[in-house]
Amino acid sequence: MKYVIVIFFIFILYSLGSALFYMMKDGDGSKRMVKALTMRVGLSVVLFLVLIFAFWMGWIEPTGVTRQ
Amino acid sequence: MHANKDEYYIPNGSYWPIIGSVGMAALLGGFASSLHDNPLGTGIMVFGLCLVIFMVFGWMGQVVHESEQGIYNKQVDRSFRMGMGWFIFSEVMFFAAFFGALWYARNLSVPWLAGEGNNLFTGQYLWPEFKSVWPLLQMPDAANFQVPKGIVHAWEIPALNTLCLLLSGATLTWAHWALLNNNRTQLIAGLVATIALGIIFLSLQVAEYAEAYQHLDLKLTSGIYGSTFFMLTGFHGLHVTLGTLMLIVILMRVIRGHFNPENHFGFEGVAWYWHFVDVVWLGLFIFVYWL
Repeated sequence: MKYVIVIFFIFILYSLGSALFYMMKDGDGSKRMVKALTMRVGLSVVLFLVLIFAFWMGWIEPTGVTRQ
Repeated sequence: MHANKDEYYIPNGSYWPIIGSVGMAALLGGFASSLHDNPLGTGIMVFGLCLVIFMVFGWMGQVVHESEQGIYNKQVDRSFRMGMGWFIFSEVMFFAAFFGALWYARNLSVPWLAGEGNNLFTGQYLWPEFKSVWPLLQMPDAANFQVPKGIVHAWEIPALNTLCLLLSGATLTWAHWALLNNNRTQLIAGLVATIALGIIFLSLQVAEYAEAYQHLDLKLTSGIYGSTFFMLTGFHGLHVTLGTLMLIVILMRVIRGHFNPENHFGFEGVAWYWHFVDVVWLGLFIFVYWL
């Protein structure tokens, strides 16, 4: 479960990074940046829901104590 | 010879850089002196801070004014984007250092004290009773270090705060789309909601710190857990404060009619910064409170 969360987080970093890239490269008319940011918000909400679900299922517990 | 107006730009002479330099020198010099119990230290520090704030308002105000006059060309736009890029690079490195410190303490140095790796004798001879458990509620040298009674539970204020920042990311993106679609009412509503959520986040964070200090004995001095916890969340809180101030400035500019779908780099820069601060919190929430 830990790895799923970390991989999710990497995807979020990627969408945030691509928004930065588009902001640096494109002019103000382009919509690529706001699309990447929309993606980043969507992924973050899903990750939060995944955390709640995993906690509810007993797959993870706060502060590093994982059930064996 | 005819020069292209978008190729080269020479700004007018400005006194703001020297004011900023004096302010920053006084701020840091004053801070260092106050750490050495110099009675004038705090005063010099506050004077430096005031000067820096004065410089930021004055200089940025001038830039906004010049931008609205339409005297900037594409070269200036590119240099603003480059400046933002370097600023973000420094921010990423700043937080990477603190996350790195947390990783190093949790996965390397604390286990070493308990005898992991090639440090068998450290554990056996120095602290035979010590077991490496994170969060560090039992110190190897318990006589000289104060231990927290407990830690902040992820499922209380931190989860609420995560919800606040996630929502603020959504409202800001809503405002961003509104700007691109030239819908000023939605843009203002989205910005106001984002600022409100930022302020709620900060108030909750203050409540969490009060709880940590008063009831949990979790302090900046509570060993490596307390240090990393307060350094990460504290500097993040400082960034949310700055981000909220930046959003308030952007809101005031929007109300005054600045920005349009073709020209709004100021908005983009601040919006990206807010999303960055949001993602840093998500990282904190995951790595400090959960994993």
